[in-house]
Amino acid sequence: MSIFTRGLSAACLAVLTALSPAVAQDLELTITAPAGAGGGWDAAARSLQETMVKTGNAKSVQVVNVPGAGGTVGLAQFVQSAKGAKDQLLVGGITMVGAIITNKSPVDLDDVTPIARLTGDPLVVVVPKDSKIQTLADLMAAIKADVAGTIWAGGSAGGADHILSALITQAAGADPSKVNYVAYSGGGEALAAMLGGQVTAGISGYGEWQGQIESGDLRALAISYPEPIEGIAAQPLKAQGVDVELVNWRGVFAGPDLADADKQALATAVEKTVKSPEWQEVLKARGWSDYYAPADEFKAFVASENERVHATLKSIGLAE
Amino acid sequence: MATEIHRGIHHGLHRPTVIIGLGLIALAAVTWNDARGMTIRANYGVGADAASYFVALFLAVLGLGHLIAAFRPGIEADEADWGAVAWIGLALAGLIGAIWAGFGFILGSTLLFAFTARAFGRRALIVDLLFGAVLSTAIFLLFNKLLQLALPLGPLERLI
Amino acid sequence: MDALFQLLNGFGDALAPMNLVFAAIGVLLGTAVGVLPGIGPALTVALLLPVTFKMDPGGSLIMFAGIYYGGMYGGSTTAILLNTPGEAASVVTAIEGNQMARKGRGGPALATAAIGSFVAALIATIGLAFLAPILVKIAVRFGPWDYFGLMLIAFVTVSATFGSSPLRGLTSLGIGLWLGLIGIDQLTGQTRLAFGIPNLFDGIEVTTLAVGLFAIGEALHVASRHLFAPEKPIPIKGSIWMTASDWRRSWKPWLRGAGIGFPIGALPAGGAEIPTFLSYTTERKLSRHPEEFGQGAIEGVAGPEAANNASAAGSLVPLLTLGLPTSATAAVMLAGFQQYNIQPGPLLFVQHASLVWALIASLFIANIMLLVLNLPLVGLWVQLLKIPLPWLYAGILLFATMGTIAANPSVVELLLLSGFGVLGFVMRRYDYPVAPAIVGLILGPMADSQLRRALQMSQGDPMILLQHPGSATMIGIALVALVAPFVFKGLSRFRQDED
Repeated sequence: MSIFTRGLSAACLAVLTALSPAVAQDLELTITAPAGAGGGWDAAARSLQETMVKTGNAKSVQVVNVPGAGGTVGLAQFVQSAKGAKDQLLVGGITMVGAIITNKSPVDLDDVTPIARLTGDPLVVVVPKDSKIQTLADLMAAIKADVAGTIWAGGSAGGADHILSALITQAAGADPSKVNYVAYSGGGEALAAMLGGQVTAGISGYGEWQGQIESGDLRALAISYPEPIEGIAAQPLKAQGVDVELVNWRGVFAGPDLADADKQALATAVEKTVKSPEWQEVLKARGWSDYYAPADEFKAFVASENERVHATLKSIGLAE
Repeated sequence: MATEIHRGIHHGLHRPTVIIGLGLIALAAVTWNDARGMTIRANYGVGADAASYFVALFLAVLGLGHLIAAFRPGIEADEADWGAVAWIGLALAGLIGAIWAGFGFILGSTLLFAFTARAFGRRALIVDLLFGAVLSTAIFLLFNKLLQLALPLGPLERLI
Repeated sequence: MDALFQLLNGFGDALAPMNLVFAAIGVLLGTAVGVLPGIGPALTVALLLPVTFKMDPGGSLIMFAGIYYGGMYGGSTTAILLNTPGEAASVVTAIEGNQMARKGRGGPALATAAIGSFVAALIATIGLAFLAPILVKIAVRFGPWDYFGLMLIAFVTVSATFGSSPLRGLTSLGIGLWLGLIGIDQLTGQTRLAFGIPNLFDGIEVTTLAVGLFAIGEALHVASRHLFAPEKPIPIKGSIWMTASDWRRSWKPWLRGAGIGFPIGALPAGGAEIPTFLSYTTERKLSRHPEEFGQGAIEGVAGPEAANNASAAGSLVPLLTLGLPTSATAAVMLAGFQQYNIQPGPLLFVQHASLVWALIASLFIANIMLLVLNLPLVGLWVQLLKIPLPWLYAGILLFATMGTIAANPSVVELLLLSGFGVLGFVMRRYDYPVAPAIVGLILGPMADSQLRRALQMSQGDPMILLQHPGSATMIGIALVALVAPFVFKGLSRFRQDED
């Protein structure tokens, strides 16, 4: 057993060195990631944890995973447990906005206090490399000609990918409620369907399919970001005359009924963290785009996103 | 298990089989009803309700099968020590209660351990409580401190 | 032979003393955490991922390989000794393995699992090194119709786990299918049977059902019988090692298991469970001792364990060549790559060639280390059964619930776990096999999604299932396998089994 204990203590050392903080502020924070380990929100929570401690904007940060129902389980629990708490944050994003609507969640983002918008990633519209569709205009024409025969692949029903497919279908002049969208459990399985040529077009986060786009296995037609992005050859939908934009944003929220001073303190800690060079490194490593917005701007943004997502889900038949 | 000799052969109506059969039919009814209430339709192909209807029919057929089988001679279930089963029930309730009330992982797991040992005939509850506490504290330390995994915290855990 | 040369280079990197230490730590940690019931390989890798954060990519990935294989192996130990599969892919192992342990043959069961895992992982890792580019081209051609055909075959083979009564086996399967309906339907977003409880929206976790039915159900059953038929600590009869006859009966199942597990694991939606079902049925059909199945047939441990580990290596094919995570474990691995800004995918072998080959080489090394570690441990693990029964079961329940709490600390999840425990108790009490319920929960939702995807792509035309040669063939095989026993044996046998 001596080998075993030695192995454990070596691992213990590795963990301890990973955690040694540069103490500057005595904020002891808990971040709730409303998803299981390995997903985007979990990654955002853990990156924030690492950077906040490293930059000294928090003394210690603990990440709690509360998975379930597109984040609404975590949201509900957070609204209860973080009421007025000055040391609690929740990670959320556009998927949560959609899940609140489709799951008819009793709590929504009005029940929490927006602190900051952190990242915003473009979605990408692709076709298999052997597809006859060469450009976005070809795809729009195909949708208009045969909306049922234009088969989309992407993430789960009601998610950002699905919403974008409906917005594009509508922009092509076809009925968005007729969109033939095949949902997969994640970018991986949808990718297999794309590479196998079983579907017409696919939507996913750009980062997820970057490798296949660069190797030429997939042809990127457009990104959903409002402006062109450095390093991405595919141009925005808007720049190609399709008036649609959708950003897969992530942000952090604090609990309800928060005192103004506490809200300010949290917002400052987060702002300092995301303005640090360490955060820029994280963004680069993860392939995320900076999309920071302070608390008040973020609050207005969440409200407008809520309205837009609701309208789109209604047009697909997923919401009343 | 069917080869154990102490089991008696039952004749006449076999009540557990009837109850299970009726339970399956009830489950089928619930499932059918749930499927009928579904509002989201698939644009192409079949919707989410198809599988529900299929499973409901399957369960209903199985339920009927049970009702027929209940009239055949069957094997009696073994005798059971319901006291022991109740202790395990209490053990699980102790754990769930401790987590629900926010008393934390260590206390809950200690109760679970000691009560389960009691179910298997141990009488040394104090020793088992102590042993369970040591074991769960060790597990807590391993996971919370070493692996950064958030096991539920209670007053005890916050002290460590 | 470019691949061979690169692989040798990879070994050069992986055999550096420091990297060997990393591999050893990975294997130890992976086995230690993976052994806990309810903590499958995915959670094991996720838990241990932070341990690797501070290392350079090479060392970290090598440690990762060790954790992956170690976690994959750990699940079978508790399945065999305690009838508590740590993960869905070990469910089949528990059927025969635990029967062997009960007859005092826990040692050989663990040994055939360890050696079988080794042999299968070895074959599969060779396959990964040399066949990956070809295999992946075939794998992505697999459409939803083909998956549906594969599911049908898997469904038919489930009957092998039914035990003596078709009615009871089908009921168990039906309960699993019913549980599989619960939650939000992935394709349409429609909620099924969740009754407004948000914790049910994501459906029932397979591990929750498996741990509840097996570990807690078993504890309740044994406790209820304790007074009347006290179970004595199981004697260890004969050698704890495999006899010549064990070897003779094991080696073919190992090879067949590897042959079944690797290609299915390489399919983007293949998974690790289906190969274990298929391997179990195959061994049962081919065995010269079919009467021993259900009573502790060593082939029933050797084959599925080999298939399980081969599929683990198989799932690295789409991950490394396409960047396509096909299992929860692979998804966590992907996150591990990404923290070093390495994007698995078609360019991985070009951009990070030395890293990839070092990883593949360390898979070989991790595999050998696992064998070296686990064979001596067999003796130690078997001693577990000498723990007095009250503490043994108390410990099992402690670890089983801990796994659930660790994965999802919610009261609802614990209530579900306890509920499944009661269900498992009732099923044991009235002689219903529990394995088909788990199979139903795994296969039901997969078959449902794949069939509906196929119909969505054909805009509702069911003929699509027969128009593709692959799916048509598989549906044909499933039909033949379903009908043939009735044709040969006649219905009289069916009636006889009914009670």
